[in-house]
Amino acid sequence: MKLLFTVFFLLMLHAVVAQTTLSGKVTDTKGEGIPGANITLANTYDGTTSDANGNFSFTTSEQGQQTLVVSFIGFKENRRAVTLGTTPLVVAIALEETINELEAVTITAGSFTAGDASRRTVFKAIDIATTAGATADIAGALNTLPGTQKVGETGRLFVRGGDGSETRTFIDGMLVLDAYGTSAPNTPSRGRFLPFMFKGTSFSTGGYSAEYGQALSSVLALDSKDEAEMTRTDIGILSVGADVAHTQAWDGGSVAGKVQYTNIRPYYGLINQEIDWKTPPASIEGIGAFRQRVGKQGMVKVYGNYNHSDFALYNHAIEDHSNTSLYDLTNDYRYLNGFYKTMLNEKWNVRGGLSYTGIKNNTWLNDDNIVETQKGVHAKTVFEGSLSDKVEVKAGAEVIQRNYDQAFDLKVGQDYTLSFNETLSSAFVEADVYTSNKFVMQGGARAEYNSLNQKFSVDPRVSLAYKTGKISQVYFAYGTFRQAAKNEMLRVNSTLSSEKAEHFILNYQVMENNRTLRLQAYYKRYNDLVKYRNADPLQLYNGGDGYAQGVEFFWRDYKSIKNVDYWLSYSFLDTKRNYLDFPQRAVPTFASAHNVSLVTKYFVTPLKTQVGVTYSYTTGRPYNNPNTAVFNGGKTPYYADLSVNLSYLPKPYIIVHVSCTNVLGRDNIFGYEYATTPDASGVYGSRAIRQPAPRFLFVGIFITLSKDKSTNQLPTL
Amino acid sequence: MKTSMNLHSTVSKQNISVSRFLHIVLFLLVALPLSSRATDKYTEAMQKNIQAVYTQQTVAELQNTVNTLERIGTAEKSKWEPFYYASFGYVMMANREKDGAKKDGYLDQATTALDKAKALQQGDSEITALEGFIHMIRVTVDPATRGQQYSGLATQSFHKAVALNPENPRALALLAQMQYGTAQFFGSSTEEACGTLNKSLEKFETFKATSELAPQWGKGMAMGLKEKCK
Repeated sequence: MKLLFTVFFLLMLHAVVAQTTLSGKVTDTKGEGIPGANITLANTYDGTTSDANGNFSFTTSEQGQQTLVVSFIGFKENRRAVTLGTTPLVVAIALEETINELEAVTITAGSFTAGDASRRTVFKAIDIATTAGATADIAGALNTLPGTQKVGETGRLFVRGGDGSETRTFIDGMLVLDAYGTSAPNTPSRGRFLPFMFKGTSFSTGGYSAEYGQALSSVLALDSKDEAEMTRTDIGILSVGADVAHTQAWDGGSVAGKVQYTNIRPYYGLINQEIDWKTPPASIEGIGAFRQRVGKQGMVKVYGNYNHSDFALYNHAIEDHSNTSLYDLTNDYRYLNGFYKTMLNEKWNVRGGLSYTGIKNNTWLNDDNIVETQKGVHAKTVFEGSLSDKVEVKAGAEVIQRNYDQAFDLKVGQDYTLSFNETLSSAFVEADVYTSNKFVMQGGARAEYNSLNQKFSVDPRVSLAYKTGKISQVYFAYGTFRQAAKNEMLRVNSTLSSEKAEHFILNYQVMENNRTLRLQAYYKRYNDLVKYRNADPLQLYNGGDGYAQGVEFFWRDYKSIKNVDYWLSYSFLDTKRNYLDFPQRAVPTFASAHNVSLVTKYFVTPLKTQVGVTYSYTTGRPYNNPNTAVFNGGKTPYYADLSVNLSYLPKPYIIVHVSCTNVLGRDNIFGYEYATTPDASGVYGSRAIRQPAPRFLFVGIFITLSKDKSTNQLPTL
Repeated sequence: MKTSMNLHSTVSKQNISVSRFLHIVLFLLVALPLSSRATDKYTEAMQKNIQAVYTQQTVAELQNTVNTLERIGTAEKSKWEPFYYASFGYVMMANREKDGAKKDGYLDQATTALDKAKALQQGDSEITALEGFIHMIRVTVDPATRGQQYSGLATQSFHKAVALNPENPRALALLAQMQYGTAQFFGSSTEEACGTLNKSLEKFETFKATSELAPQWGKGMAMGLKEKCK
């Protein structure tokens, strides 16, 4: 009897052990089945995977109170208590989606973002290096994107009817006071920062976050790379100089140094230039970067850059070509940027930075000496975190202090100095609120106090994005933007108010794997632009205004044609403004109505060579002819440029790079300069502003030495 | 379960008039498989799923296995193998997926799972080699853009894995694969790659698994490359 009982007991135990069946269906909140979800009885091996329709069923030997966990990527984990007995359980599980970077609508649709992972990005980090005509200059590559106007004689980014100074560069969130190197008058300058330093580039042509101040038209936000992954030495032998860089990497940190010498003299000796050089440009540059991970999530970055450059040339008077004057410029540039970021807890992080810029321009105009110095310090702290999984908040404060002076040491006349000291204190707050992966609203404001004009301002910024389909979305943004008047204005009148712009942007984007279509329309209103009273450049006031409006088109395709990657940009711009010496509203000389760029890249596998071809076309720009009654009534011929580059990889660690701009040698004219006084017959003489030479040819050999010989410098070019 | 079921049938056929001794034996016979099943449950379940991850061909099948492995890993808490094989399973899924974005998604999950394994087993040659394998598959999503960065990272991981355990044939086979691809692209000699491959094949012969659950994959891939090296 006892035995019978034992056997019965054990049998019953087994029977019970093997018998609870759990079944049901996993769906999203709309009732669509989710296949592949993981259904788990917590702390046991028991569970299953949902089938193609989201249905599941499994048996378990567990008993009593248990926890059923259902999870699937892109959805919040669902946990529920279940009581397991002898009766089968049927459960319906609706998973709530998580706001997920890859699926969610993007609020940054108004910008072109290039990241390392290059997933949902329209523009890739490597594009900067491989766009023909850009000669590895960040601004040069971005100039092929819609919203920008080609202004060939400056090399700067002119965005949506704004002039070059209205685009500001930020490195790790810190404002860069002068992002471009020096160049002779009417010759393009290059960006001071090399593309290889950055893991991410975000170029916004309007409607950007409240985090960014002091930019009227556009923001170029660059994220510097984290610690280097491997120790390497890079050597570059260029037709215009040489550079050597070394990177030492260790676990969690790295230090890198680079020395670069550029001398364009031998090149100018070979190729005739439009400019009458006394000494063509030469520069020496040293760069240092230090990176260290601190703790689990902290990161410290220090970056420093020193550059010394000089050149001298003779300006020929328009009235009389034989009448020359010397222009001699020596520039010293120092930039130091320290950055720190760490997690405070699971939901909040803090980042902060301190940057210093020192710029000194020592100019000789014949026997007159002008020394311009600008020193700036920027300190900033930003807290970022989430209030819930649907609300993200960002808040920060910053101080920018600038000391500027321009000292004139004149051969004839009284020496004098123009100077100003400005302190900008600002704070901003911004929240991203998601209702689902389909809709997000960003709202924020930026408050600023300017010590120079003693004005306090608040700028609101709002943007909304809605996903209209699986791969398409619409986006709207509005905001007001403010920027202190230019140095050359403030040094004359330091009480000038900041200039102001308002942006209204509507954007539609369709994006699937390797194909992107983007359409944009915008309206922009300018106020408080600096204007000359009675056409006198010494009587400045904030009486100017203007507008810009336009439509833009962007199409990128890396799918339709094998091994070919291309994009086509078109921008239409209608803009007028009344500022500076303008007698009434007129189209400024940097604005062109139609801008087109076609960029193609083709990899020829058997030749191990990437060929890039870029074609740019811009309709004529206005210029002011004092011989006619209409202000800015002249129009230059159209601008066109066909540039080609080749990158050849003979060995995994060697790259040979050849590029040539304006292959067809078109004589592009950017505008006309006029004599200040009329000649005997009462006519103002003129001279066209041309390219310094029809073509620019560049040859470089780049060698990388590392333990792993398959590494090369391609991404850094 | 099968063993205990057989036991029941044996028991039910027994005559009821038996001694106390038999009583105890019976109890032990029935109960022991229960307890021994509990201690071996991990190895048994793992072996079954490792076999599945090695042989399954479709993404759906692999997803099922990977889910099971993650369940085991979550329940066990201290074992690195479930996450290692879950990660391997995701790499296999990425391998079979054609859509770039989905491929990236699987590789993200492979990385997440491998990070869990890494946290439990630091400085492991097998984990490091698999990390390199993930980088290697990343390249295939967009070779023109990613080739440089990820092939560098992959090669670096393979070197690190070999340094951690020079006897690891998988690290050598993957490194050989990488070197072969690079040599082929540049039209240079495949001598170095085939040298690494031969070393790898030798190590496959002498490799002694430290446990029943130690990784065993990669030989097929090495044999495939051997054909090209001839």
